[in-house]
Amino acid sequence: MSNLAVLPIVMPLIAGVLLAFFHNKLPLVRTLAKVLTIINFLVVLYVFYYVINNGSVVLETGGWIAPYGIILVADIFSITLVLTTNIIALATVFYAPLTLSKKQEEFYFYSFFFLLITGVSGAFITGDLFNLFVFFEVLLMASYGLIVLGGERVQLRESIKYVLINLFSSMLFVTTVAFLYSVVGTVNMAQIAERVGEVEQKGVLTTIAILLFFVFGTKAALFPLYYWLPKPYTVPNPVVSALFGALLTKVGIYSIIRIFTLIFVYQTTFTHDLFLWIAVFTLIFGVIGALSTNNIKLIIAYNIIPAVGFMLLGVGILNETAVSGTVYYLVHDMLIKAALFLLIGAIVHLTGTTDLKKMGGLIHHYPLLGWMLFLAALILAGIPPFSGFIGKLLLLQGALLNGEILVVIIGLLSSLLILFSVMKIFIRAFWGEENKEIQPNRKMANKLTIPAIFLLFFSVLLGVGAELFYPGVKNISAYLLDPEIYIQSVLKE
Amino acid sequence: MLFTIIIPLLFAIFVPAFAKWKDKIHTGYFVLLVPLSIFIYYLQFIGEDFQPISASYSWIPSLMISLSFYLDGLSLLFVLLISGIGTLVTFYSIYYLHKSERLGSFYVYLLLFMAAMLGVVLSDNIFVLYTFWELTSISSFLLIGYWHHRAASRYGALKSMMITVFGGLSMLGGLILLNVITGTTSIQAMIQQKDIILESPYLPIIMTFIFLGAFTKSAQFPFHIWLPDAMEAPTPVSAYLHSATMVKAGIFLIARFLPIFVLNEWFFVVVSGIGILTLCWGSFMAVRQTDLKGILAFSTISQLGLIMSLLGIGTKTAIFAAAFHTLNHATFKGSLFMIAGIVDHETGTRDIRKLGGLMTLLPISATLAFFGAFSMAGMPLPFLNGFYSKEMFFDATLELHDNPLVGAQLLGQAIPYLAVIGSIFTFIYSMYLVFGTFTGKAKLDQLPKKPHEAPLGMLVSPILLVIAVIVIGLFPNLVNQSFLAHTAEAISGYQIEKNIVFWQGFIPPLFMSITVVVLGALLYVTRKKWSKVYTVIPGNLSFNRVYDKIIVGVETYSSKITNSYMNGSLRRYIALIMTMIVVTTFVTIFATGGFQIKTDDLAEVSYAEIFVAVTMALAAIGTVFARNKIAAILILGVVGYGLSLLFVIYRAPDLALTQLVVETITVALFLLCFYHLPNLRKTDDTIGIKLTNGIIATSFGTMMTLVAISAHSSKWFPTISDYYVETSYKLGGGDNIVNIILVDMRGLDTLFEITVLGIAALAIYGMVKLRGEKEGE
Repeated sequence: MSNLAVLPIVMPLIAGVLLAFFHNKLPLVRTLAKVLTIINFLVVLYVFYYVINNGSVVLETGGWIAPYGIILVADIFSITLVLTTNIIALATVFYAPLTLSKKQEEFYFYSFFFLLITGVSGAFITGDLFNLFVFFEVLLMASYGLIVLGGERVQLRESIKYVLINLFSSMLFVTTVAFLYSVVGTVNMAQIAERVGEVEQKGVLTTIAILLFFVFGTKAALFPLYYWLPKPYTVPNPVVSALFGALLTKVGIYSIIRIFTLIFVYQTTFTHDLFLWIAVFTLIFGVIGALSTNNIKLIIAYNIIPAVGFMLLGVGILNETAVSGTVYYLVHDMLIKAALFLLIGAIVHLTGTTDLKKMGGLIHHYPLLGWMLFLAALILAGIPPFSGFIGKLLLLQGALLNGEILVVIIGLLSSLLILFSVMKIFIRAFWGEENKEIQPNRKMANKLTIPAIFLLFFSVLLGVGAELFYPGVKNISAYLLDPEIYIQSVLKE
Repeated sequence: MLFTIIIPLLFAIFVPAFAKWKDKIHTGYFVLLVPLSIFIYYLQFIGEDFQPISASYSWIPSLMISLSFYLDGLSLLFVLLISGIGTLVTFYSIYYLHKSERLGSFYVYLLLFMAAMLGVVLSDNIFVLYTFWELTSISSFLLIGYWHHRAASRYGALKSMMITVFGGLSMLGGLILLNVITGTTSIQAMIQQKDIILESPYLPIIMTFIFLGAFTKSAQFPFHIWLPDAMEAPTPVSAYLHSATMVKAGIFLIARFLPIFVLNEWFFVVVSGIGILTLCWGSFMAVRQTDLKGILAFSTISQLGLIMSLLGIGTKTAIFAAAFHTLNHATFKGSLFMIAGIVDHETGTRDIRKLGGLMTLLPISATLAFFGAFSMAGMPLPFLNGFYSKEMFFDATLELHDNPLVGAQLLGQAIPYLAVIGSIFTFIYSMYLVFGTFTGKAKLDQLPKKPHEAPLGMLVSPILLVIAVIVIGLFPNLVNQSFLAHTAEAISGYQIEKNIVFWQGFIPPLFMSITVVVLGALLYVTRKKWSKVYTVIPGNLSFNRVYDKIIVGVETYSSKITNSYMNGSLRRYIALIMTMIVVTTFVTIFATGGFQIKTDDLAEVSYAEIFVAVTMALAAIGTVFARNKIAAILILGVVGYGLSLLFVIYRAPDLALTQLVVETITVALFLLCFYHLPNLRKTDDTIGIKLTNGIIATSFGTMMTLVAISAHSSKWFPTISDYYVETSYKLGGGDNIVNIILVDMRGLDTLFEITVLGIAALAIYGMVKLRGEKEGE
C-alpha cells in the first residue's frame, strides 16, 4: 500500500499533461478537468482515510531505501493538507469556466492548474529536502504560467516582480540545502533531523536554519519579506488569485512548521522567539496593509499576511495547544481565503470594477452573494462558532499558557481590524442606495457563488463540528512535537 | 432551556417564508408567538422557593465547550426582560413598520438577536457565552443598518460593531485567561475557585479585559459614543436592544463575575468610578440633545452608569438596588421609547424644537409619557417604581464599606454628591422630554404631518409597560421575595432580605431626593440661562471625534505606512529582503557561535584555479558595470565558460560539457533576441542609494561566504554519497554514478525538473500566442 503516497502527486501530473494535448477542444477539456479533479479528490480522500487508520504511508521511490533515495511520506499532517488542497481544487475547477475567457482556458489553464496541484501536493508529501526544492519549482513554474495567462500589460509588470523575488528565494534555497548537506551529509529530512539532534544543533546549524526560515518565510509572505505578494495576487483572474491565496503561501508556512518541529528544535529560545516577534510584526503590518486600500482584491490579498502571522505564532510558542491552533488555522485559512477570493472575484466580474468607491447597494441585486461575503467576513475574523475561532482560540490559549500577554493583545486587536477591513467591503459595496441602471445578472451571480458556498460549508463545519476534527488536529500536533515518530517511520531503525 | 434559544433561531429560518404573505398578514404576528411563549415558559419559575437549575448538552467536549446553561435569579430577571419586552416590542413593531418594508429581514435579525441575548444570559460556558455575545453585536449591527440607504445608519452600524466587537474580543482575552488559570470553562466552577483567580498575577489583566467587554457593551464612558448613533435603528429596535436588553449585557457580565471580582479592592474604584462618571456625563449630555431619541439614548447611558456604579459598590442594598433598577429601567424607558416612536410616526419629526403642545392631540401618549418620565426622574410619588430604586441607590451610596485604597476612600466620599448631581440632570432631562413635547404652544406648521393619536395597537405595549410602572410602584413587594431577592442572591452569592417601603422616615436618602427635585425644577426652569455651559463642556472634547479620528486615521495612516514601503520598486523590495536576511543571519551566526574555519582538509590550489576564479569574479562584477548590453551578455558568458573550465579542472567532463552547451545556447539566445531587448538605461540613482545597495550586496555576499566556509568546516557526518558509489553498479546497473543518480536514485527529481521545463515552455508559448492574437485584433 506504500504506493498510495505517490498517487496525490502522480494523478494531477498525468491530468495536467493529458489536458495539454486537447487544449483547444474546450468542452472536452472542461469536462475532463472536472472529472479528473473529482477522481483525484476521491483518491486523496481514500489515502487520507487510509493514513488516518493505519498511520503514515512511507514510499521509497524507485526502491532506493531511506535515507538514500527520495522518500515520500504521507503522514496525518501532510495528507490533511493535501485533502484540503483538493477540496479547493474542486471549488475552483467549477468556478474557472465562469470567469476565464475562452482563450485563457485554451492556453493551458487546466494544465497549469493540475501541475500547480501536483507541485503543492508534492511539497506537502515529500520527505526529502532537495525534492522539496524541486516541487517548489514545479508549483512556482505553474504559478508563473497562471499569473501571465491573459498577457495583460499590468499582469506582466507585476509578474516580473513575483517571478524575480521567487527566483531569488529559490536560489537561496538550493544554496542553503548545499550548506546543510555539507554539514550533515544527507538531504533526507528524517536523517537530517536525527543528525541535527545528535549534535544538538550546534555550530553553524542554527545559522543554516535561519537561512532556511527566510527561504520559506519569503514564500509564506512573512514580515518583512512579503513585498512580492499583494499586488501580483490581484492581477490574474480571480480563480487564479483564489488558488494562489489558498495554496502558495501555505506551502511556505507548511515547510516552516515541518522543518521547525522536526529538525531545528534544539535552540528554540533563539529561533522560536525570533519567530514570535516576526509573527507579531507580520500580523500588524498585514492588517495595516489590508486597511490601506479600497481595492477589494487587494484587501483580501493583504489579508493573507496576518493569517500567516497567526500560523507562525503557533510555531513560535511551540506547545501542543498552540501547534494544534496553527494546524487548525492553516486548514481554515486555506478554505476561507479561497472562498473570499472567489466571492470577491464574483463581485469584480459582475460590477466590472475593483474600486469600492464605485460600488453600492449590491444587496438588492445579489443578496446571496452579499450574505455569503458577510458570512465569510465573520469566519475570517474568527467570530465563533466558525472555523477561524477554533484556531484562534487554541493559539491564544497556547500563548497564554506561555504567558505571552502582548501576543494575545495584538492577536485580538488584529482580529478586530481584519473584521473591519472585510466588513468595509460589505458595508460599502452591498449597503447603500441601489443603482437602478445596473442590469443585474442574478443567475450568473448565483452560479459564481456556489463554489464559494461549497468552501464556506467546510469552514462552518470546521467550526460548529469542531468535535469531529479537533481530536485529529490534536493528534497531528502531538505527532509534530514528537519528531521521533517521523524519524522512526522513515528510517525504521 | 436550550429550546428557548433554538426556537427563535429555527423560527428565523421560516420568517422569509412568512414574509411572502406580508400583504395579507403582517409578519410580526407570527413572530410574536416566539417571545410570548418563551415569556410564559419562564414565568413559571417566579416564586419564593425558586432554586437555580442547570442543563448541559455536549458540543465540543475536547475543547471543553459544552452547551451548558444555568438559570438562577440573575438570568431569570434577564430572560423575562428579553422575552417580555421582546413580546411588547414585536407587537409594537407590527404597527410601527409598514408592510412595504423588508419585514422578512427585520424579523430574522430580531429573532437572531433574541436567541443570542437569551444565550448570553443563560450560558454557563464562557466560550458559548462569548459566541452569543458576538452574535448580539452582529445582529445589532444588522438592525442598526436596517435602513442602510441612509449614510447615518451605515455609520452608526459600523460604529456600534467596532466598539462592541472590540469589547467582545477583549472579554474573550479575559475569559481565555480565566480558563487557563482555572482549567475550567464553567463560570460557576470559576466562582468556586475564586481564590485561585484572586491570587493570580494575571488578575489585573483579567479584570481590565472583562471590564472592557462590559463597559463597551453597556455604553459606559468613554465607550458610550456608539449608543446615540445606534438610534438610527427603527424605534422598536432602540427600545428593545439599545435600552432594555443588549446594553444591559455588560451589567449582566459584571453581575455574573461579581462574586469573584468584588473581593479585589480595585473592583469598587473602577466599576463604581466609571459608572458614576457615566451617570453624570450621560445625564448632563442628555439635556443638550434636540432629538427625542437622542435624549433617550443619553438617558439610557446615564441609567446604565447608575446600575454599574451600584454593582461596583457591591453591598447588599446596592446589589438589590441594581437588580431592582434594571427591571424598573426596562419598564419606564421602554415605554418612553415607544412614545417617542409614536410621536415620530404621527408628526413626522423627533426634533423637540419643532414639537410642543401635543398634549391635546395625543392625550393617551402624553399621559403615558408623564408616568414614564416622572418615574425616570425619581419623583417621590408612591405609584412610580423609579422612585424606589432611586431611593435605594442613594441609600447605597451612603453605606460604603472599608477599602484600603486611597482612591477608593476619595471616591466613596464623592459618590453621594455625584449621585445627587447626576440625578438632578436626570430630573431636568426627564422634564425637558415630556414638557417640551407635550406642553407649550403647538407648532403645527413646522410638522411634516398633521398629528393625531396613534392607533390603539401601537399604544398597547407602552400602556402595559406603564401599568407595570404603576403596579410595581404601588406594590413593590410583589417583585421582591419571589423575584428580585433571587436575583440579588444570585449576584452576591448570599441571601439578601429587603423590605421595600415608600415612607422610611426622615432619613438622608429622602433629603437627597428632595434636593434633586427642588434643584432640578429650578434648573429646568432656568435652563436657557445656563445652556451656554455646553459650548465649554464638552466643546471640542468629544469622544465622537476621537472615534472618527481613529477610524479615518486607521485608513489614512495605514495607506501612508503601506505606500511608504510598497512603492512597486523591485530593487527596493530585494534590498529590504536582503537587509533583513543579512542582519538576522549575522546576528545568528555570531550569537550561536556558528562561525567556524578549518583549513586542515583543504586541497592544494593550483594557479589555473586561481586564474579562472579571479576571471569569473571580475566578469561577474563587470556585468554589473557594463554600459552596453552586448558587452554585458558577453561578459556574463565569461562566468559560465569559467565554470565549465572549473569542471574540467575537477575532472567532471560530463558536467563541463553540459555547462558548455547551456552557456552557448544562452548566449546565442540572448544575441538572437538582442534586437528586442531594451537598451540598458543609465540609472539616475543618487550616490547614496548606490552606496547603500552596494553595501547590502557586499554584505550579503560576505554573509554567504562566511556561512559557506563554516558549513564546509563542519563536516560532522559521513555523506550518503558513499552509498551511491557502492551501489551504483550493483543496484543501478551503471558505471556512471551521475547518470544513475539522475535517472534512478533521484529519478523523481529529474522527472519533475523536466516537468518544470515543460510548464515553462507551455507558459511562454501561451503568453506569446495570446498576446500575439490580441495585438492582431
